[in-house]
Amino acid sequence: MTDSLCWLLAIAVTLVFFFPLYWAVSTSLRNPADTFTVTGIGIPFINFTPTLDNFRTELSTPEGFRALRTSLFVSISATLLALGLGMPAAYALARFRFWSNADITVWFLSQRVLPPVATLIPFYIVFRNIGLLDTPWALILINTTFVLPFVVVIMRQTFLDLPVELEESAMVDGASYFGAFLRIALPLAAPAAAATAMIIFAFTWNEFLFSSSLGITQTKMMPAHMAGAVDTRGIQFWFMATRALIAMVPPVLLALLAQRYIVRGLTLGAVKG
Amino acid sequence: MRWTSSIRNLFLMPAVVWVLVFTIFPLGYSLYAAFHTVTSETVVNRMEVPRLDKEGNPVLRSDGTPRMKTEVVRETVTNWEFVGLGNFARLFTDKVLHEAIKVTAIFVGVGLAVQMTLGLALALLFNRNMPGRSLLRTIMILPIFATPVAAGYLFFTIFYEEGGPLGWTGIPWLSSPHWALVSVIIVDIWQWTPFCFLVFLAALQGIPDELMEAAKLDTNSSWSTFRNIVLPLMMPTIVIVLLLRFAEAMKVFDIVASLTVGGPGNATQSLSYLAFRTGLRFFDVGYASAIAYTLLALVMVVVTILFKRIRTIYA
Amino acid sequence: MNGMRTLLAGASTLALLAGPALAGEFVEWQDDGGAIIKLSPEYDSAEIRLSAEDLGGLFGPDELPFEGDEITVLTLDSGPKGGISGPLYAFRPVFEELSGASVDIALVPISELYTKIFLDLRNGTGEYDGMIVGAFMYGDLIDGNYILPIDDWRESGDFPAWSYDVMPDSLRNIYTWDGVGYGVLNDADGQVLYYRRDLLTDPEHQAAFKAEYGYDIPVPPDTLQHLRDIAAYFDGKNFDDNDAEPDSGVVLHLKVREQGLYHFMTLATSFAVTPGELSETQGVYWFNPTDMTPLINSPGHVKALEYLKDLAQFGPDAQVSWSLGEAWDYFLRGKAVFNFSYGDVAPLAQDETRSNIRGKIGSTILPASDTYWDMNQEEFITTDEPRKVGNVTGGSWHGTVSVLSDAPEATYAFWSLMATKPISKWLATYGWNGVDPGYDYQFLEPVGEAKLEDYLAAGWDETDVKEYLAAYYENFNAETMLPYLRITGTQEYYDILDSNLSAAMSGAKTPQDALDDTAAAWQQVTDRLGREKQLEAYQKAIGWQG
Repeated sequence: MTDSLCWLLAIAVTLVFFFPLYWAVSTSLRNPADTFTVTGIGIPFINFTPTLDNFRTELSTPEGFRALRTSLFVSISATLLALGLGMPAAYALARFRFWSNADITVWFLSQRVLPPVATLIPFYIVFRNIGLLDTPWALILINTTFVLPFVVVIMRQTFLDLPVELEESAMVDGASYFGAFLRIALPLAAPAAAATAMIIFAFTWNEFLFSSSLGITQTKMMPAHMAGAVDTRGIQFWFMATRALIAMVPPVLLALLAQRYIVRGLTLGAVKG
Repeated sequence: MRWTSSIRNLFLMPAVVWVLVFTIFPLGYSLYAAFHTVTSETVVNRMEVPRLDKEGNPVLRSDGTPRMKTEVVRETVTNWEFVGLGNFARLFTDKVLHEAIKVTAIFVGVGLAVQMTLGLALALLFNRNMPGRSLLRTIMILPIFATPVAAGYLFFTIFYEEGGPLGWTGIPWLSSPHWALVSVIIVDIWQWTPFCFLVFLAALQGIPDELMEAAKLDTNSSWSTFRNIVLPLMMPTIVIVLLLRFAEAMKVFDIVASLTVGGPGNATQSLSYLAFRTGLRFFDVGYASAIAYTLLALVMVVVTILFKRIRTIYA
Repeated sequence: MNGMRTLLAGASTLALLAGPALAGEFVEWQDDGGAIIKLSPEYDSAEIRLSAEDLGGLFGPDELPFEGDEITVLTLDSGPKGGISGPLYAFRPVFEELSGASVDIALVPISELYTKIFLDLRNGTGEYDGMIVGAFMYGDLIDGNYILPIDDWRESGDFPAWSYDVMPDSLRNIYTWDGVGYGVLNDADGQVLYYRRDLLTDPEHQAAFKAEYGYDIPVPPDTLQHLRDIAAYFDGKNFDDNDAEPDSGVVLHLKVREQGLYHFMTLATSFAVTPGELSETQGVYWFNPTDMTPLINSPGHVKALEYLKDLAQFGPDAQVSWSLGEAWDYFLRGKAVFNFSYGDVAPLAQDETRSNIRGKIGSTILPASDTYWDMNQEEFITTDEPRKVGNVTGGSWHGTVSVLSDAPEATYAFWSLMATKPISKWLATYGWNGVDPGYDYQFLEPVGEAKLEDYLAAGWDETDVKEYLAAYYENFNAETMLPYLRITGTQEYYDILDSNLSAAMSGAKTPQDALDDTAAAWQQVTDRLGREKQLEAYQKAIGWQG
């Protein structure tokens, strides 16, 4: 294939993947009555008269802002906690010998695999008994647990790929294990950590089942808020699209800021050395 | 060389303890529940006490008697009736469950195959120099950040069969049992191919140029370069991505709940969705736990095999 | 409703800027002890007059009977201007000013309401003082002792006044249990048939129809079989000139787990219920009342499902995946001749920002089948005078008081305020709030007390509203009613039926297989929950004397 053909192909594929988001924008700009009557690909001004009413309504309700705030607080806290706990563990699994490093890693990952219903009811009971139901703390604790395996698996791979000699020579120069970890390994792994942070942030941000079951009235996160656009009469698509777009803003901004790191960081052990 | 030191536990243990603390009770609870029929009842004692105002004085009615209010003392009693393997025995005769297993298997099998292949192909495509590459790449990864619940609802309007943007295909996207499953898979592909793409692209860019140049000198065929140089180098990445995606895909819930609600019929009901409804809609907690543990066992077998594979790669 | 929502968006922004409510802002006391209630500008600044009797003994100009109480009420989430949750928002400031209590409104999407309620009640959490529930939850609510009887409060004269007497028996039955009141009057759900009056009375279509089928179009349609013919005749014709696409004979909402099963439930009644006094074979629909054997796969039920499938071919294929909103939207845009659904449709049709059929929408009690399965004779009987069967299909969403509440009186007072006659009447007149008419004073004179002018002032077309209210009156007062299933585990029985119906409608199973599978799965559920216990509850629910 020639370069220009490849280029066109790349543009075409990008457009296909972008289309649903474009469609969300288009839907969010319509009057409710236009939701299903607009034909074709719904270009504003050509296929229908756009309106900002949905955004205006959405941004004028305190519930939306409250959900955004809760989501930010929970997601940032859980991300930082998970990184703080997970990176040392990943480092240990990459550098030290335990009875079976691979099995321990699989064990971490198994938390991610557990069907949510097996844990939802017991979590509900525990959090109720310790008075954390319907608080952000419950959601932070739970989400940290859920995303921790990602940190361990991805970062372990990253540390494995780093040349161990650098840390060893640092230790010969008198650094402690912690020193080697903090001053040598961590900076080298920073791009991967940034990329991992992005991904676990998005996971926490988008988690629906637990946030809607454990955050009851005071602690609604964005996905639960979005599901609220469904009423006895079905889905209010115009609000759904509006809320979905608003909800995407923070993670996308973060992703844009961190994008250099993401591409450098997520090699996951492809090439050594 | 691997280091050994007692200090290693200081690195590992916080995470291990954290996970243990937060999973041992739920896991134990579910395992115990899987062997029981769980019912609960609430015993409530209500007491009439005088209503007090802000200063702590009783509030009086106009006739001078104190106004009362209710205080509630409640206790919830959970009854556990041991049923042995009863819940597990039901697994074998439950047709709805069997259909859910089939749906989940197809969803995971087809979805992951497409995501991995497409992600890899796209990574190769984007690994060339082309104008506006970083802009295109940025747009490509946006779907990762869309909330799955919202994606499901969003695609409902896209799959709208009466004049929606895909209406011209004439495909019964959501009203035919077979196509509905395809539609659910498409949403998952839309959301997660970008993730595979992103990681693969990162891996590709990590391959040193000299290696690629050398390979190109040896052979003229780009397929053979890919097959013999690129693919083996990327194998660990591919396996890890597969592993992460597999764990996620096996418990698909949000898209099903928002796009099809498991229908038509039970044509798109995933295991996780079924388990959820069994436990939290029908409050058949014991059976839901049995389903959950079965799912967990299935996944762990596959994950362990995949990890074995990783170890062979490194060996 | 939604057009109005958009219009009001600007107003709500202003309301927010206006800051906290001032004392006396929502209630203006009158010399006779009554009060005028003033809603916020979001609700058109509506004013409703309540008499001293309406308000009850506790409230007064200098009284704050529930000062300091904080209550949380759970409701479906449709937002401040949406169905069911809208009135709670509208009357919350009024109640807070009257009572001194503060009210927190907890919202959940309809799909999670059941889970939220029972997660809370079963675990003794007590997060909610009151819940808006669907009547089909009563089996579980009563079985667990989760809600409080309200008759003492209602009869005390202390609280805002309302009465079960304004309800037809069919509705009263689902607001009460075993003669004891639990639910506070609010919504009245039932399905009626909506049809396009303009099309069915069009001379050209009438002549063409007669030429094809050999009889005049009955207006309104009188049997399900005729309804099918009319739908078949119109299907595929482009009878509305809003777009170039062909239109449909009928539109149904068949999405699984989104109330799609109610179509079948309602429609199957006239096929499957044998007329006569309640007995093992007569007047029963769900189970055999002596041993809980499911009747759902009886030849009558199977025939009903075959009929529904036959009828559905005259609608858009996509309806298998449609919930209420999409099907209504299609009907309101003028793209189908028939829709049978809830009381929201005719009010929504009056809103010309999203409806093309104002002044064209006819309403009637659902026609009956001319053939039914006779369980005594074990054969199909064809009759010249099919029984019209009424239904209270749906949730009839209304407030209940949680047994776990520590402020049950305040909670009850909040619900009952919205149940008072002036307010309930006001709610039924306006379409946006999802509270559908069902009570004496909401129907027109002479059967009721409402005046046509009230409805016309709210923007109704005269013929539309007359037919609409008459259809609902006939439906709720029909001699034969679809028995309402209210036993423990109803949610699970329903879900099994629902997914099997959906499988049949989407072609994955034959009607016979689908209903046989349903019956088999129901047997398992009954055994698991305890056959004796279930039987007892079922007998109580249908009034079986033995």
